[in-house]
Amino acid sequence: MIQLLANWILSFDILSGMGISVAWGLSLFIVAALIFVFVAANAIVLVYIERKVSAFMQVRLGPMRVGKFGTLQTVADALKLLQKEDIIPRSADKVLFIIGPWVILVASVVTFAAIPFSDTLLAANMNIGLFYIVSISSIVVLGIVMAGWASNNKWSLYGAMRSAAQIISYEIPVGITLIAVVAVVGSLNLQTIIQEQAGTGNLFHWIPIPLPNWFIFHSPFLFVAAFVYLIGATAEINRTPFDIPESESELVAGFMTEFSGLRWALFFLSEYANATLVAFLVSIVFLGGWQSPFADYEGTQIGFSIITLVAIMWTLFVRAKTGRLSVYPLGLSLVITIAAWLFPGFAIWMASPGIFWMLMKAGGIIFMLMWFRWTFPRLRVDQLMYVSWKVILPLSLINLMGVAIWMWLTGEIQF
Amino acid sequence: MSYFSNISSAITTLVDGMKVTMGYFVRPREHVTLQYPDEVWPIPTRNIGVGEIESYNTIRSKLVVDFEDCIGCKACERACPVDCIHIETFKAGPDEDIGTTKNDTKIKLRVTSFIIDMSECMFCDLCTPPCPEDCIRMTPDYQFISNDNVKLAVTPEERWRDRDHLIYEFSKVSPIERAQRQADAEKVAAAKAAAMEAKKAAAEKAAAAKAEQEAREAEKARAEAATATDSEAPPSPFISETPVDSAEPTPINIPTMESAPEPEPMDRIEVPMETIKTPEIPEVKPVSTETTAEPETSSEPDSSSEPENSSKGETENG
Repeated sequence: MIQLLANWILSFDILSGMGISVAWGLSLFIVAALIFVFVAANAIVLVYIERKVSAFMQVRLGPMRVGKFGTLQTVADALKLLQKEDIIPRSADKVLFIIGPWVILVASVVTFAAIPFSDTLLAANMNIGLFYIVSISSIVVLGIVMAGWASNNKWSLYGAMRSAAQIISYEIPVGITLIAVVAVVGSLNLQTIIQEQAGTGNLFHWIPIPLPNWFIFHSPFLFVAAFVYLIGATAEINRTPFDIPESESELVAGFMTEFSGLRWALFFLSEYANATLVAFLVSIVFLGGWQSPFADYEGTQIGFSIITLVAIMWTLFVRAKTGRLSVYPLGLSLVITIAAWLFPGFAIWMASPGIFWMLMKAGGIIFMLMWFRWTFPRLRVDQLMYVSWKVILPLSLINLMGVAIWMWLTGEIQF
Repeated sequence: MSYFSNISSAITTLVDGMKVTMGYFVRPREHVTLQYPDEVWPIPTRNIGVGEIESYNTIRSKLVVDFEDCIGCKACERACPVDCIHIETFKAGPDEDIGTTKNDTKIKLRVTSFIIDMSECMFCDLCTPPCPEDCIRMTPDYQFISNDNVKLAVTPEERWRDRDHLIYEFSKVSPIERAQRQADAEKVAAAKAAAMEAKKAAAEKAAAAKAEQEAREAEKARAEAATATDSEAPPSPFISETPVDSAEPTPINIPTMESAPEPEPMDRIEVPMETIKTPEIPEVKPVSTETTAEPETSSEPDSSSEPENSSKGETENG
């Protein structure tokens, strides 16, 4: 994408005077700015959605006053945060205190360089994309420890230490789970991983249910691995139920306790950037990335018809159970199905890969993370370590071995 | 084996919890939170005991005065048990035409200030029955919030002034006119006082002259009596009274004024005394209300002031 942008810049007569290196640098800067804008806007939207989702799960309405249905609430909050006083504690380590939030933000923003939003829309097509993301995103813990140590506050230090212990513990199962997928593909390039998941096939290779060739349906081991990865990634980004580094009821705000205004906003930004990154990674590695779930336009029609049938059954089930008639899922799926049957162009568009599917899958995963957050209680520190070392790590190791055996059984690899 | 049962129970309980939250997530949220300024609870419409008059069948809250109909009789001010109504009136000149009320009563007093301090009002509704023109009434508008005059209260004085938005001025007389009226009234009062003083001085002079005359006469009489007979001493009280008192006694009002403040509790008793003293207007009132009760009750709901209408509209929308 940077090469394309540089060529595009040089194609103008006025700008062609600058050398290829200048154009390259300019396009680098533009792409970085675009990614940062995406991350910032993403955080503003996600905070609003998170507040709404939490409100709906707690029988509330959430923000309603600023803008229609409170849509501008987070914009107002962001403006408020920008205006706030920048407080640095007198006994804090000023240098670390100042660079800590920036380290976290940079580490979480830079990872987006390797995320392929579609087959052409990505900043850097690296052959070690997955490794790059895993390694760079673990720098976040450095920033957290810096912030916690520099605050010179026992809550901050406790939060930072817990965060370090937690992230280091969960890096291992997460890494091993990703290695299982890499073993299937034979490449660390994210584009290759996505392209491997094109088309449709049987569920778990033998069960005759036509499903997309996503790795979550590749084998029972990878099916489990997807959930293992989701759990481990939730712990890595310090979200509930693994939010012990900033557990409000114990540590005030953990490593963020002493931060205010813009610096605190940076923490928030990086938190949501990390959540988005995890959602993208799950959808890339296990859910086919920008691949459409439908193979062709007939597949689209049949698939949406099946979805409509499921929606009808769901509506009847809800009606029988609660006496209420929820028409929105049924109506939406009916409209899309009719559109798919009437307009072949729409069906073809739905069957074609693109950024739409990437965002849909990532959105679903983000909703799932929010669902986790507003359902589960926080784990104790020792329970957290128990889950990591005694449950998830053995499970991921078994998955790795199981995937290897599965591939030998299905004939994907021969010895 | 407890290891695996632990994991399986963890998974099942997590799924159960997620089911619960998803159930709440998809549930329609109709009666969750009242969006207060946009939605308001409906005002109860039950009868509160004043059954004959339709407009009283709601809650009683903010006091409203139809200022065009106020004749400045101060009946409501006297009736108020907490003194939250403050009225200032000036007599209109003989050639001035202020207008008439809806009952065709000629307004004779210019009401320059009609202040109701709603922070002191206790919503007893005692001020509305005495009103001869039915122009003061309680409305169901219970929302006193406003953006005006809301200050940050620091000192006690400021805290007191912080309630400024609860002090309602109903008079439509401009402050300039009010100042002019006050000046005029002061002039009139000064002229009156001057006239009174002149009268007083004249009276004093006359009294002094009289006293002198009397004293002379008395001296004469005494001299005559002394010369006439020593045994005649009945006018001994005359002797004590005449020379001392007759020199200064003419201002009759002053001694009463001085004697009144001496008993301290009298201050508090004075207010009810005044209300008891003036039974004239309450006597007049029933006549006027009887004559005009029927047309008013029908016309009032239509011509009721803005806050009542607006609150009704809100309740319908909500």
